[in-house]
Amino acid sequence: MRVLFLCYRGNPYCGGQGIYLYHLTRELAKQGVEIDVLVGPPYPDPMEEWANVYKLENLHLWSMRTSHIPYENLKKLFSPWHFLEYVATRFHIFPEMETFSMKSFFYLKKLLKKKQYDLIHDVQCLGWGLLPMKEYGIPIVTTVHHPLTRDRNADFLIDTTMWEKACTILFYPLTMQRKVINRLHRVITSSREGLHELKQAFGLSPEKVSVVYNGMDVELFRNTGEPRKQKSLLFVGNTEDHKKGMRYLFEALAMLPEDVTLTIVDEGPPKRLTAWKMIERLKLQHRVHFTGKVDLDELVYHYSTCTILVMSSLYEGFGLPAAEAMSCETPVVATTAGALPEVVGDAGILVQPENPGALKDAINTLLNNAPLREELGKKGRRRAVDMFAWPVAAQNTLAVYKDVVASYRSSL
Amino acid sequence: MPRARILGIFACVISTVLLAVFGYYAYILNDAYSISNVQKIAAETYYAVAVPVGMVTIGILSTGFWVGMTILTIKVAPPMPEIVEKKDNSKFKAFLLCLVTAALAGLFIYGVIQQYYLAIAIPATVITLVLLGMVFWVGVAIITARSTLYKEK
Repeated sequence: MRVLFLCYRGNPYCGGQGIYLYHLTRELAKQGVEIDVLVGPPYPDPMEEWANVYKLENLHLWSMRTSHIPYENLKKLFSPWHFLEYVATRFHIFPEMETFSMKSFFYLKKLLKKKQYDLIHDVQCLGWGLLPMKEYGIPIVTTVHHPLTRDRNADFLIDTTMWEKACTILFYPLTMQRKVINRLHRVITSSREGLHELKQAFGLSPEKVSVVYNGMDVELFRNTGEPRKQKSLLFVGNTEDHKKGMRYLFEALAMLPEDVTLTIVDEGPPKRLTAWKMIERLKLQHRVHFTGKVDLDELVYHYSTCTILVMSSLYEGFGLPAAEAMSCETPVVATTAGALPEVVGDAGILVQPENPGALKDAINTLLNNAPLREELGKKGRRRAVDMFAWPVAAQNTLAVYKDVVASYRSSL
Repeated sequence: MPRARILGIFACVISTVLLAVFGYYAYILNDAYSISNVQKIAAETYYAVAVPVGMVTIGILSTGFWVGMTILTIKVAPPMPEIVEKKDNSKFKAFLLCLVTAALAGLFIYGVIQQYYLAIAIPATVITLVLLGMVFWVGVAIITARSTLYKEK
């Protein structure tokens, strides 16, 4: 099978789609799929061992003042696509998905003169260009981990002025995504919760959606064997994101004994102040530690040496930190929000969201029961390897490809 | 002189000249303020200009209306009290935005139906000014930017 991947940002360090592209294509290639990739900047780490990579240019004009655009890029601004992007970004519109999809449409026309594809796999772009692309006679599958309506609504929670709200509305291309997603052949999402989310956000029929759980590197996320700290809670995520429910986590911590501490893998003050203000209000400064940005090895160290990972989320499209912690044999206390129950399963304790008392009780239960922690840790590792390893994700994705290609060909 | 700088100067000169030509033909040559309807030109000629101008104009006004309407109607949880301490009057401003864009759209459609010259000249001026202004601004940026690369041969 020959598959063309489209990904408007390919670097694994600037967003989930880059990680997804890199690992999924590698595993699919191992399973015999021929992979070509059309990708925008920042470009992915070298993938040439298993894929043909075609790079499309983008000047990254979003939120960049004209006077700050590098001279080398200014020279290119008068080409039609770049100028269109320039005009759109001056009005706070984020045009990268639209222009990437249109550029891909034209580039694919050239590619098809020498190549053939059984399927096109779009990674979270959903640009207008996918609609004319259907006319090439190739079925198109897209992956959407969660609809952008979630991000827009989360932004609304922290927008304080009319101007900020207007910019948020203009930023997210929801109208385009709603039109495009309903016209593609199949949508892959990473949880059963996603079925409901996509129906609510885009009116997408569940029959058009296939659930394939996210993959992760279970070899990298493996317990390091170092001794665990006592009564040390861990949170991994963006503390500025309202969906993370930080307030409830801090309130639970305030109710726990003084010797229980919390490590947050994220930037703290002075860069990020939202969480810090809550910490100050609850007088928890001496019990909370921010690590700042960490590399993967450090992240694995934190997972392996903490006592419990806590996720106080109000919504999670997947909840990757929970899966990563499970892979490191760390027990998890999480809320029942979004896809967390699907991810955590029986490898942790689940509580209702927005309930700091329940969160405190669950943490207390685990802190005072070492055998239970060990049992949940072992279950978590098993669950992570069985359900969230990249080979499993690739196998399930390939099954979706085969189904889409078969039903597309039978409909001709 | 590097080719890119010549391009920048060219962009500035051309956009300025085009702006001047547009202003002269649109407003001065025919004394635009004395034209209440365009009886001397065929209706087809008028609409040939009015329709594309109208599509862009209505598109822009609809976007403004949609932004206002979205702010007015979106249902999300109330803003975090930790973040928002000041009074939020964005709903009122969004209502005003809807009102202004709807009124402008109504005025524009009425003007086009009546075949007023100014109904298409004013939006065309705004659109032209914005686009030429951007070309001009990029030109200025190219002229004033310091290259980080070796000089082009």
